[in-house]
Amino acid sequence: MRRYLYIIILVAVAIVLALLPVVGAPKTWLLYLFYFYVFLAAANMWNLLAGFSGLLALCPAAFIGLGGYIMTILTWLGIPYYVGLVAGGLLAALFAMLISVSVFRMRGVYFAIGTLVVPAILRLVFLRWKPVGGDFEGGGAGYMVKGVRAIPPEVTYWLAMAIGLLSMILIMIILRSKFGLGLAAIRDNDTSAASSGINVFRLKLYSFIIAAFVMGMTGAIFYMNIGYIEPTNAFDISWLMLVLLATVIGGKGMEWGPLVGTIIVVGLRFQLARYAGISLLIQGLILVVIMLVAPQGIMGLVHKLRQKRFSRQSV
Amino acid sequence: MKLLSDLASPIVIGILMGGLYVVIALGLSLVFGVMKVINVAHGDMVILGSYLAFSAITMWGLNPLLWLLPSLPIFFILGILIEKYLLHRAAKMSADAALIIAFGLSLIVQNASQRIWTPQTRSLFTTYSMTTFKIGNIYIPLVYLLDFFAALLVMAAVHQFLKRTYLGQAITAASQDRQTAELMGINPSRVYQIAFGISMALASIAGIFYGLTFPFNPQSGNPNLIIAFGVIILGGLGSIGGTFIGGMIFGLSQTLGGHFLGPTGQQLVPFLMVLIVLTIRPQGLFGR
Repeated sequence: MRRYLYIIILVAVAIVLALLPVVGAPKTWLLYLFYFYVFLAAANMWNLLAGFSGLLALCPAAFIGLGGYIMTILTWLGIPYYVGLVAGGLLAALFAMLISVSVFRMRGVYFAIGTLVVPAILRLVFLRWKPVGGDFEGGGAGYMVKGVRAIPPEVTYWLAMAIGLLSMILIMIILRSKFGLGLAAIRDNDTSAASSGINVFRLKLYSFIIAAFVMGMTGAIFYMNIGYIEPTNAFDISWLMLVLLATVIGGKGMEWGPLVGTIIVVGLRFQLARYAGISLLIQGLILVVIMLVAPQGIMGLVHKLRQKRFSRQSV
Repeated sequence: MKLLSDLASPIVIGILMGGLYVVIALGLSLVFGVMKVINVAHGDMVILGSYLAFSAITMWGLNPLLWLLPSLPIFFILGILIEKYLLHRAAKMSADAALIIAFGLSLIVQNASQRIWTPQTRSLFTTYSMTTFKIGNIYIPLVYLLDFFAALLVMAAVHQFLKRTYLGQAITAASQDRQTAELMGINPSRVYQIAFGISMALASIAGIFYGLTFPFNPQSGNPNLIIAFGVIILGGLGSIGGTFIGGMIFGLSQTLGGHFLGPTGQQLVPFLMVLIVLTIRPQGLFGR
């Protein structure tokens, strides 16, 4: 019964959020929410990697930037943005498969550093590479998204919302499937998981590819909204910081962690805009304090408190 | 022969510059070896070292090399405090928790240096900044030579410390097998504090030489971190000799990449080297 109640509440919230642009909600709300959806999708996918699959992949910027770039370049070739959106995701997934040949040979820290290098390489490649456009576009100058004005803002909003929802639903389905069970077994002890017949390599690869696909689409929608993309921003380490912050504050390896974390991160981002000079410092302090007080994040703390209450009741 | 004489200069410069990368990487390598913590704030600590030296120079007109004397203990104590009050509890819980705390520290240091020293690009300018030697037909800037000798000295010092002193042996023991080390009566908390303090002191040395060699700004920490990681990963974690070779490979691939492929190659080739080496040998060149 309780489960249905959750679903009903979720659907109701989703419907209200979807109707906001139609009923004329303030522009700033829509902007907040847009960022919320984008960050939520990225954080959820990073949680899938780092929280559930034991892959400390430090390359979200690679997938996000690549998705953004593919979408932008395709608009220059006259291909509509919604095709570019999916193509961005697909190519990011393909790219994930490609680099997995190399990075999946590494373990632990080596994997982390191997993946950390990937966005740095992509940034340098895109600083030089000019696939389309004239002398004044591409490379370090970046690209405008062609025909971005023709896209109605509410469409961008809905697309972002769809991607955010998709990421939530994907995580829910994965965690309740055999795939998720396998991942949990790997996370707890990958040797014993392997010896009970789980193909560790393949499951990790699947979640790597799924995460790349959604992050690619996330990047595409993000840069579609900005209307402009350039390599230093697209492949910046700040994407990594963002997903790390959201996932950790909420609770890494918790189903609802990224959702809670993203709400806080987006709130902070706009509240701290006033103190732009020291916003990073404040974010850093929050990160340190949260780690010392609640190392499992907010959802972890909630979980612990609930358990405590439970055990007290049973006594 | 023409090719060889053309290559002489990038090869020499690459090796000398590799020395600087070795100094940057050593502190990171030490902390990882002992505490199994990826200190992502290391690059920013290096730049903090550069900035403090910058202040000392502009305020008191000190020679940056003289500034090493007060800088080392300052960073050593700072490192002990950070380990004691921030990292220690987190490192006990999980490696991830410590990583994230280090990440928070990195943000704090970056932002604070931006507030204190403005985002402007600075450099440690001294009377010998522009001095160059000419050997054959190769021009060698003096600061590059200093970097290299600093690397040799620091490496020898760290090596001797780890081999000869009680504390050094305790650190080595703790990095090889924490539990056995504890059973042998080594106090791990103390060992961790000292190791982190030394790593910070190494960061301050690296910072001064980095500032002498390259211009820096508050954001210079992250690229440095990636370079330092590349260096220790190339060589294999926990091996000082490996770190040295890693630094040389990194420096050489930078200058040779620049020589053959231009400025983009200079940045791109080292990163590609990291990926290629790790693909072929996932545990690094000299990793266990």
